[in-house]
Formats: sequence, C-alpha cells, structure tokens
Amino acid sequence: MPPMLPDFSNSVKLKYVKLGYQYLVNHIITLTLVPIMLGVSIEILRLGPQEILNLWNSLHFNLVQILCSAFLIIFVATVYFMSKPRTIYLVDYACFKPPVTCRVPFATFMEHSRLILKNNPKSVEFQMRILERSGLGEETCLPPAIHYIPPKPTMEAARGEAELVIFSAMDSLFKKTGLKPKDIDILIVNCSLFSPTPSLSAMVINKYKLRSNIKSFNLSGMGCSAGLISIDLARDLLQVHPNSNAVVVSTEIITPNYYQGNERAMLLPNCLFRMGGAAILLSNRRSERRRAKYRLVHVVRTHKGADDKAYRCVFEEEDKEGKVGISLSKDLMAIAGEALKSNITTMGPLVLPASEQLLFLLTLIGRKIFNPKWKPYIPDFKQAFEHFCIHAGGRAVIDELQKNLQLSTEHVEASRMTLHRFGNTSSSSLWYELNYIESKGRMKKGDRVWQIAFGSGFKCNSAVWKCNKTIKTPIDGPWADCIDRYPVHIPEIVKL
Amino acid sequence: MGFAQEESLVYDLRLSSVGPGRVSGTDVFHNPAGLDLAMKLHYLRMIYFFDSDVAQSLSIMHIKERMFPWFNHYFITCGRFRRSETGRPFIKCNDCGARFIEAKYDKTLDEWLEMKDWGSYKLLASQQVIGPELFFSPPILLQVTHFRCGGISLGLSWAHILGDPFAASEFINNWGRCMNYLDLTKPINIPRPIPRPTGTGPQMDPVCAKPVDPVGDHWIPPNNCKMVTFSFQVTGSQMNYLQAQIWGPSADQTPPFESLCAVIWHCVAQVRPGFEPNTVTICKPDPSHGNDIIGNNQVISKVEAGSEFSMSDTNFRVLASMLAEQGIDERNLIEEAMEKDEGVADFYVYGANLTFVDLEETNVYELELKGKKPRFVYTTLQGVGDEGVVLVMPWPKGANKNGSDGKFVTMILPEDQIVKIKPELKINGLLLEGDF
Repeated sequence: MPPMLPDFSNSVKLKYVKLGYQYLVNHIITLTLVPIMLGVSIEILRLGPQEILNLWNSLHFNLVQILCSAFLIIFVATVYFMSKPRTIYLVDYACFKPPVTCRVPFATFMEHSRLILKNNPKSVEFQMRILERSGLGEETCLPPAIHYIPPKPTMEAARGEAELVIFSAMDSLFKKTGLKPKDIDILIVNCSLFSPTPSLSAMVINKYKLRSNIKSFNLSGMGCSAGLISIDLARDLLQVHPNSNAVVVSTEIITPNYYQGNERAMLLPNCLFRMGGAAILLSNRRSERRRAKYRLVHVVRTHKGADDKAYRCVFEEEDKEGKVGISLSKDLMAIAGEALKSNITTMGPLVLPASEQLLFLLTLIGRKIFNPKWKPYIPDFKQAFEHFCIHAGGRAVIDELQKNLQLSTEHVEASRMTLHRFGNTSSSSLWYELNYIESKGRMKKGDRVWQIAFGSGFKCNSAVWKCNKTIKTPIDGPWADCIDRYPVHIPEIVKL
Repeated sequence: MGFAQEESLVYDLRLSSVGPGRVSGTDVFHNPAGLDLAMKLHYLRMIYFFDSDVAQSLSIMHIKERMFPWFNHYFITCGRFRRSETGRPFIKCNDCGARFIEAKYDKTLDEWLEMKDWGSYKLLASQQVIGPELFFSPPILLQVTHFRCGGISLGLSWAHILGDPFAASEFINNWGRCMNYLDLTKPINIPRPIPRPTGTGPQMDPVCAKPVDPVGDHWIPPNNCKMVTFSFQVTGSQMNYLQAQIWGPSADQTPPFESLCAVIWHCVAQVRPGFEPNTVTICKPDPSHGNDIIGNNQVISKVEAGSEFSMSDTNFRVLASMLAEQGIDERNLIEEAMEKDEGVADFYVYGANLTFVDLEETNVYELELKGKKPRFVYTTLQGVGDEGVVLVMPWPKGANKNGSDGKFVTMILPEDQIVKIKPELKINGLLLEGDF
C-alpha cells in the first residue's frame, strides 16, 4: 500500500485542482472562442486581401435584401432594449445615528430591569444571562421613553421617536444626495410594530411637503425582513414608472413595544432590539448612472408561512397577565436554517459561477441516481460575492449562517460589529452593515454584496447589489467617529 | 424612597438614569482610600434653588443632554460598588449612571422658602442610601423639582465615600460649566489603585471615628434616637455682635466659625446635663489640598477638653481658642484604623462626637446658570450619629453690607435636644424671634 500523502500536500494539490477546474468551467466560452478566432484570423491572413474582396463581390446583394436585413436587425435590437428590465440604481443611503443621550450600557439596563421587575428575580437573572451572551456592546441606544423606570410608552412618545429617527435619516439623505423633496416620486416606509393613523409615510409627506401625486406605501407587520421587501416593491414600481426616484425608509420604533411583563420568551426582544433607521434613495434615471453607489441585481424572497411551525415561531401575543409581547419559539434557529436553504436554492442558479453550479448539479444527479449517501454539495457562495450583510438578528443567527455558508470571520465581521455597536435595529441593520464595509474602505467597483434578512412569517429575503464605483474613505455616516476602534473582540460571555 | 403624608405635595415622580456619553472601558476599577471608606455611612444632600427666570430656559431634555459630557469627566461616580475577595469595597466603573428624578411641587418657590420647614427639605433630594444591594445602588442621585411659579430646585444626593463636601460642590459647579458649554479640567478623575499597606505598628484608636457593629451591605449607621434637622440664619450684624460679646475690642479674635461653634457648643452642653460633650470633632477644608483629585480630603481633627473640664463654667473665649488652636488632625489615625482591617470594618465620623463642619469655603454660590447664581443652597447630611452635627454654610454674598458675612447654620440633633436648644440659642443672640 503506498503511504498516505500527508494532509498538507494533499490539501494543496486539491486546492490547485479546484482552482484549475473553476477557471476552466467559468471561462469555457472564452477558452473555446479564442482558438476559433485564432483559426479564422489565420485563415483570413492566408487568403490575402484580393481573395477576400472576390469573396465579398460574389455574394450578390440587392437593395431590398439589404434594407430588410437592416430593418430586422433594428427591430430585434429595439425589442431587446425595450424588454430589458430597467436598471435600478442605489444612489445613496443614510443611517440614523442615535444621540449619545440615548445610550444604554449593560449595567444601566440590568439596574432598570431589577427595579422594574422587582418581584421576579428569576426574570432579571434570565435577562442578565441573555445580555452577557448577546454580542451587544455598551453603546447601543434605546429611545428616551424607555429610559424611565418604569418605561412610559405613550403614543406621543412613539411618534416622537419616529420623528427623530425618520427625519434625521431623511435630512441626512437629502444632504448627501442633493435630492429635493419635490423630486420624490415613490415613498415606501416600513416599520413593523408601530402603525399609527395617519401612517408614517403620511408623516414624512407632511413634514417635507412632498408632491400630491406621490405614490406612497406603508408596510407594517412584516418583521425584520421588511427592508428588502420594500426594496423589492420599489424595484417593481420603478419598472413601471420611467425616470423616477424612490425613497425607502426602513426603521423599527421601539417605544410602544417594550415588553413589561415577566414571561421569559418575551423578554428576549427587550434585550436585543435597539433604536435605528435608514433612508435609501433608489432611481431608474440614466443620469444617476455616474454617481450611484450600487446597482440592484437580484431580489429573492422566500416565505415559509405555509408551514405552521414557521408561522408561529415569532408570534406577538398576550401573556398570562394580559401584557403584549413578541414570543420567540425555541425552534427559531432550525426554521431560519430551513428558510435560508430555500432561499439559496433559488438564489444559487442566479449568482453562482458555472463551475459551482456544475458541481452542484453533478452531486445532485449522483445522489439521486448512484448513491443517496453522498454528502450534498454546499456551493461556495464566497465565489459569487465579495461582501456579506447578514441581518444582525442576534449572535446565534450570525453564527448559524457563518456555519451554513462556510464564511470566514472577515465575511461576517460587518454583521457582528453592527450587532455590537448598534444592537438589533431590525430592518435597518443591513444598511448599518453596508456602511461598515464602506467605512472600512473595502468596497471596490464591481464588488458584489449579498444582503440576507430574516423576519417573522417566517421569511428569508435576499438582495444582491453590485458596486458601481469604488467608495473612498473617510465617509460620513454612523460609523464615522468609531470605525477606528473596530473590529473589536467580542468575548463569549461579558462579565457584568 | 417613599415618605408619609408629605408625599402628596411632591408628585409626578419620574425616574431615569443619566451617565457618561463615552464608554469607560471594561474592568476599570476605582479604589476608595481608607479615609473614604471611613465616611461610607454618611450621605451629603445639597439642594440648589433657582428662580423662574433662570429655570425657564432649562428643559429636562436640555439638562439631561448636558449631563452626559459632565459624566464623561466624572465617570467614577457613575459606577457601582463591589466587594473584593477580602471584602474591601471598590467601585466598578461600568457607566451605570446617576439616578435622575423629575418631580413637581404644588407651591411656589417663595412659599417653600418662607415655610422654613427644614424636615421637608428631604423631599427635594432623594433619601436613598447604598444598599442592601450594592450592585444596584447609585452613589449619586439628582432630583429636579419644578415649583408652581416656574422655579426649580436641583437636589444632589451624594454618597460621602466619593468625596467631601468640597468635592461635591465642585461637582455641581462643573455641571454649571457644562450647562454653559465650558470645558472641564479639574478635578482629575483617574481611578485609584488599591492603596498599599503602610505597615506602621499598632496605633491608638481614633477619637473622631468610631466603629459600629457590622452593617453588611446596607450603609447607614444605627441610631438610637430620631435625629431632627433645624436651620437658622446668622446675619452679618449678628456675627459682629457675637464677636464683640466674646472678644470685646481685642484684636485677637478667633475667626467667625470658631466663635460661632463655641457658642453652639456651650448651648448643646446646656441641653445635655450629665452628658456634656467634652470632645468635639472639627471638619475643615485642607488648605494644602487643591481639590485636584476626587476624594475625602477635609481635615478631621479632635478637640478634647479633658475630663475635669466643666462646660458650664467655661467662657466662650476659652472654648473658641480651644477650637481654633487645639485641634489634632486625626486623618492618619483613621486611615490606619481602616487599613488594619483591610477596609472591611464599618466606622462613622459625623455624630461620633458632636461634630462641627466648616463649609464656608464650599463655593456653592459660584455656580452660574444664564449668568445668575442660585437663590439659595441648602446643605444637610443623612446618616448622622447620635452626638449630632452642626454645619456652617456661607450666606449668599451681597446680602450684607459691612463687617463679616452672614452664615447659615444647620444642626442635626436628637429630637428632644432640638426643642430644648432653641431657647439657649435665643439667649445667646443667635436666634431671633421670627426664626422658629
């Protein structure tokens, strides 16, 4: 028996084999075209110019044929260009930076908890354990009404928070892009848990005096993945309306939703959800082509609501004392994993390079026909994307996705650091993560970004963006004053 | 935090926290020195009153917003107490913050000040003490009370372990600077490391600080009788008259503080027949220490009159001279006594003997908001031992024309002694008819 090759050289050989295979398959068209072109050129050179002219004259064209061919070509070209979907550009976006007066260090959170839940030391213990392992930092923020002992969640306070977050983000967006309020054609606001009358989109229209023929939408109740649902909606609207600007505002208003009871499954969101919001400007105008930051490539939405367990895993209900809270079930991670698998099954063929798709197809055929015991091939998404923005739902979510997609520490750094600095800001967390990558100077022209969001329902939504121009640091944004401190090491358990 | 019937007058209490805007870091610890630990059972309460013209521009949001940069500087006071393995208390600087209380009061500022109901001043500054849970006890509580006329009061509750009254008044003066968007430099708030044992041999026990039975994590000294607060003003002319009575035209007068305390000492002795206080404690600012580092730096000295001394036979000159010249600084002794037990023992200073605290130099009227000074500043103590305390505060400058400035005296004594001492004070010209 020949001696087993040592692992090192084995893995190196495998690596080169894999690289060679990928290069071959991904550039198969180039690799076959090049010899053909070479052959044709050599043939032409061999024939000489006189021979070519003779060949040309023998073709006997008449005027009608030429005109018909020309019209055919123009017709096909026009149909092609008309039916191509409009390119959607992300011109720029702005994230809300909470004021330092809203800061909630761990110790303050625990002390307030202790004073509010004074008859339930077990619940306080539970919250402390959650906070220690949460991956949050000491600078996350809660709205002013929640700082009171006990919290004072009036509707006025909720509106106040909405105004603070949304208007700050919008002002910042106007400043960055030079957009005039009168130029907004489509407005989409998504906020899952606060839905007053008139809606938050009406609030924005009132504040900025937007046009009376604006197409406004307000999405509520759609959870943390509503941000990408709004982007999808904006994309569809921009296909129908030419030459338009769309503003998408993603936020979550914490004030009315702070759980004031003792049920443990419902106390979890209190520990993780924090104040945040983002405003995004999308456009299909050709004039934005130069200055837009990103181009929207794909949006893939997956809904597992048909399954009862998935439907109930994030459920808003009343506890035994009649207090309303959001209950998270214990199978949340498993269901998230399932939803992700569904999503990437649809996403895979759209974004993966040919080499990965071929491997996946071969393994699939092999498993079906030859041996079901073959391990399923997990496509390497790192080849399709340079950057990953995983919704900062919690440490467990990021860990789970890192494991499933086999991502390195650097790939999930944006998500982990956003969770540390801003907490779980729900639908806007993806934009904080994107801003982190830009602030670090890692975003280059041509880079592809994958944003993944999970939400109640249970939904898994993905968006794929392609970077339109290299983004130079330093940039203005929520990370401006602290980016140099990051990345930080987040211990497994923080000692309080 | 709950009082009896007076509660209904101060209403609409809302609690929250304010802390530093900057992260102090992980595992940052401040170790109080032995002298600080000796004062841990005492609490300072200072209440600043502002008229409505100043208060109008002070919204709660604005006050809170300016407190964050202030606490960046004083992040040590935002921590919480822990005990080391040996049981020595220290502060973990975890940015937990100071408690912030908003309240409303149903009367006008003028009505309040006219009432002179010294006991009800405790409604304007939180009476919360450290413990029984050290983890969740804030060393500092701030209460902003709105009066019906638009005036406000700011009540500071300050755990004495953090620092002496001079540190506390400087703390508030720095808040004033923050409100005016000025920079803060002093004091330098660097967390102190664990003090190393000095290793000197056994010393005498201090007289100014007395041990109590272990109080565990509930830091309040035990009292055998109910302590009551009584305050009165001594005008400049009263002071002049007093000095003249004691010293005559002599140029050798003791400073006003000592003369005043001598008279009060005599009065207290009169109301405690058989238990006259032969030993008193004097607390004065340390002239050599420039308020550079937050902590307990005031001089604590004992004045012993000797056992064969008879209080009623002694005249004021002797008492005043004793107070001025015969004080023995006991700070080192107190420090040693604490360190002997590695900082675990429980001592108390205020009220261990009759204590006189000189707060004339606390600069409380230096605070300026919108160019105006506070109308009145009231200082009192909580956690005072049975022997009682006398605090001598300055009176706002500009209220007198010539001679010495007026003083504001606050006495904390057992209930029965307060009743009996008022006539004594009247006899000696300290208390005028309308004052009680």
